[in-house]
Amino acid sequence: MENAIGILLTIGSLVFMLGLGYFVGGWRERSHIQDLDRRESGNGDFVITQVKTAMDVSVNGPPPTLLIGEAVIASDYLKTFLASLRNLFGGEVRSYRTLMERARREALQRIVEQARQAGYNAVCNVRMQAADVGGSNVAGKKAMVMAAILVSATAYRREG
Amino acid sequence: MIVVNTETVPGFVVVAVKGMVQGNTVRAKHAGRDIAAGFKNLVGGELKGYTELLTESRRQAVERMMAQAQQLGANAIVNVRFTTSAVTAGAAELYAYGTAVVLQEPPA
Repeated sequence: MENAIGILLTIGSLVFMLGLGYFVGGWRERSHIQDLDRRESGNGDFVITQVKTAMDVSVNGPPPTLLIGEAVIASDYLKTFLASLRNLFGGEVRSYRTLMERARREALQRIVEQARQAGYNAVCNVRMQAADVGGSNVAGKKAMVMAAILVSATAYRREG
Repeated sequence: MIVVNTETVPGFVVVAVKGMVQGNTVRAKHAGRDIAAGFKNLVGGELKGYTELLTESRRQAVERMMAQAQQLGANAIVNVRFTTSAVTAGAAELYAYGTAVVLQEPPA
């Protein structure tokens, strides 16, 4: 009897956490992507390039400056669970792809917003980098799944 | 001080190179933030505490780099790069490095 209750509790908490990931995590992801779509549509003629030298620089604009954007987005329980299943069979881990994409878009959008606020209308030399805050590369520790992205770019005023 | 991650600065010419400057920092958040992040891992979403952690570390690393450039008598840092490394879970090492130079506006 006691054993049965234990098994029921284990399964119950697993189902609860998967449900939490499905409903709350899914809702948070959808609203984040909607928010990103909305903010990105307001960028207008802002130009983002990743060439090393700024193009069409305006002569009377403010001096160019370095801008950095960070975003750390956590995985939810369902995503982590699906990824561990995927790890058994191999193939594309779709649940993590959207996670990385959200972190990159968020970090880049933060740069664009900073640049516009400071009166710039273009950034060049965009560099993206993943940081390991969750400790996936640290031996002997169960890591948290998250996407930590650091983006740097040079903001300048573009002609025309 | 002008800090950029491009090799040149539009509207300026490099008149002297002062050498590489660097700054680094390892920062961690208090345990409460780590526990909160653990819960966030169930429901997904942005980990504001860790975003803050990256922002603070990056600021500190850049400040240290700029202090070094100032000491060398430079007025700008070009070609700035960042790297991060994993020291332990919940902490971030941020390393910023660039080339300290003296910039001047070209004679019209």
